[in-house]
Amino acid sequence: MKRLFAATILAIAAAGSAAFAQDVPKILATLDAQSDFTGKDFAAVYTIVSQKPGEKDSVSQVRMFRRDAKKQFAMLVVLPEVNKGQGYLREEDNVWFYDPTSRKFSFSSIKENIQNSEAKNSDLTKKSILDDYEVVSSKEGTVGKIAVWIIDLKAKTNEVSYDRSVLYVRKDKTMLLKQEDYSVSGRLMRTNLFPKYVELEGRLMPSQILIIDELNPGERSQLTLTEQSLATLPEKVFTKAFLEQVNK
Amino acid sequence: MNTIANIAFRNLSRQKKRTILLGSAIAFGVMIVTLINGFAGAFSANVSENFSNLMAGHIFISGTEKGPNDKDMSVIRNDSSLTTAVEASGAPAKYITRRSAFSGTLIFEGKKIRTNVDGAQLDKETFLRERLLLKDGSWDSMTNETALILSEKIANKLNVDVGDRILVQMQTVNGQNNVGEFTLAGISFDAGIFGQMMSYANLSYVNELLGLAPGEYQTMGVMLDGLKNTEVSATEIYARLNEAGVQLFDRGVKDETGAETPFQALLRQQNKESWEGVKYRLFTINEMLSQIKQIVAALDTTAAIILVVLFVIIMVGITNTFSMVMFERIGEIGTMRALGVQRGGVRSMFLYEAVFLALGGAIAGIILALIAMAGISLINFGMDSPAFLIMKNGHMSFYLPPLKAVGNVIIIALLTLLAVSSPAAKAAKLTPAEALRTQK
Repeated sequence: MKRLFAATILAIAAAGSAAFAQDVPKILATLDAQSDFTGKDFAAVYTIVSQKPGEKDSVSQVRMFRRDAKKQFAMLVVLPEVNKGQGYLREEDNVWFYDPTSRKFSFSSIKENIQNSEAKNSDLTKKSILDDYEVVSSKEGTVGKIAVWIIDLKAKTNEVSYDRSVLYVRKDKTMLLKQEDYSVSGRLMRTNLFPKYVELEGRLMPSQILIIDELNPGERSQLTLTEQSLATLPEKVFTKAFLEQVNK
Repeated sequence: MNTIANIAFRNLSRQKKRTILLGSAIAFGVMIVTLINGFAGAFSANVSENFSNLMAGHIFISGTEKGPNDKDMSVIRNDSSLTTAVEASGAPAKYITRRSAFSGTLIFEGKKIRTNVDGAQLDKETFLRERLLLKDGSWDSMTNETALILSEKIANKLNVDVGDRILVQMQTVNGQNNVGEFTLAGISFDAGIFGQMMSYANLSYVNELLGLAPGEYQTMGVMLDGLKNTEVSATEIYARLNEAGVQLFDRGVKDETGAETPFQALLRQQNKESWEGVKYRLFTINEMLSQIKQIVAALDTTAAIILVVLFVIIMVGITNTFSMVMFERIGEIGTMRALGVQRGGVRSMFLYEAVFLALGGAIAGIILALIAMAGISLINFGMDSPAFLIMKNGHMSFYLPPLKAVGNVIIIALLTLLAVSSPAAKAAKLTPAEALRTQK
């Protein structure tokens, strides 16, 4: 009898696990869809407060314009005042950095950090988890008292900043609560926490992100999303001329 | 003419004290300028030679592969065609080195610093041990896979000691984030402004962190028997690689403005082009250190300015002295003119005096400078000196290009002639009667 009971429990657990495993791509697709504004333009202001031990908190602010259908973005630095007018422009896979002082564009990368903070350009753009990563394992767990799915991902390509990511996705609503990013050598490099979300035409978008540098204790950045909009943007926003013009 | 020259020479020896004082002023100026020229002459060669040892080569070949999305990846996957070309070129190669490198952030207990780390085959690069003296730790500890040698400056900034474990945050050749952990095996003596560039680790571990496969690396270095053969050998190796059908970037390209160094121009070319497989660029230590030539040019300009300033002061003194001399000898000039010496002869006498004075002073200055150079170069500052990169085996060395020395002597002779030309012209203009009539 005991054996039969144990076998039943195991069978139920295995069936549950298999069902969850089947659901993982769906969960990832939902997360991708939440950050995908294909068909619309997206604009928002991100305020980044960076903390470093022994240093005064630094505040950066960027205005982001995205057109996901064409894999385009333009990002204008608003703060700090000394860097005002700097900008990034993405056209397909090329990212350009504009320096208003030299009035020149130079090659940059989606993997580059924004204004000496822990945030990277890629943190503010459309996610493509399903394209970039494969699922290594998945299990149940908790973040605080909230039940989550813990999904361990390994990069399919070397185009992504981190070779391994572990996502903690809320079970009751598909919301990313925590993300751990690992180096190629397998060391935890940063932990991202997503404590606040905002709903934008039915999509859940993190309105606050806390990025903790795990290699440099005490270093962290907090991103706050404001002035988000899905209004259509003029074509010229995604051109080099735009970055040059806003500085005139 | 010989008589006039003889009189001029006798005039100089008649006023020994005055001649010695004027000659000493010229000699001092020439000595200072010659010392600067001599230092500048050896500076470029010393820095290039020392860098060749630290960077393990006079000629370098690095490979670049276009990755997905047209991104450049620095890698040499198979070097058989490269080694064959080096052998076939007949270049006097002492040895071939293989290195990889990255720029990353070293982190230790809340302190961090950005630096370059060179991955070298330290078991084979024994010459590096001879050049890079350790203040603390030992090269034998480099047998540990994750061992690291840091310069004193970086070690102090990180507050690390031998045996400490240091994290490094860097990117793979594909631009992915990676973290490694080094163990500090040694601290090298401070190398001044170049200390930031002198961190060494094992090639295998650096390759692992960069995401390169075993046997792959980024830069091949060809160490020659000396700096002098660098350009000829580089041209030969390049020609052999070309013949073998190896994909190569053009050498010697320059931008329109001329603002780029040859090395920067080579990198720009790499960014513009697109290709399949690995494409190689060949460059020399001279191209990498072309900025050193600017330092040498700056030193030479400084020497020239010092030369001019010193000689403007000395020339004023010479002009005054010769004006006085003319006045003192006014009766003598009158007698000479009365005896049939022409105006040109009087002028020549003064000018000969100036030339003898200038030549005597300049030659004495050069001899004094050579003695000073010999004396200074005997001092052993040691390889642990912060200025060891500009020295030759721990000794200050000088090289005075003969043409530069001859040029300095000519400049001084001309300037002295210029300084004396006015009193000489005045003396020549005197009529015999007027000169004999004038009372001193």
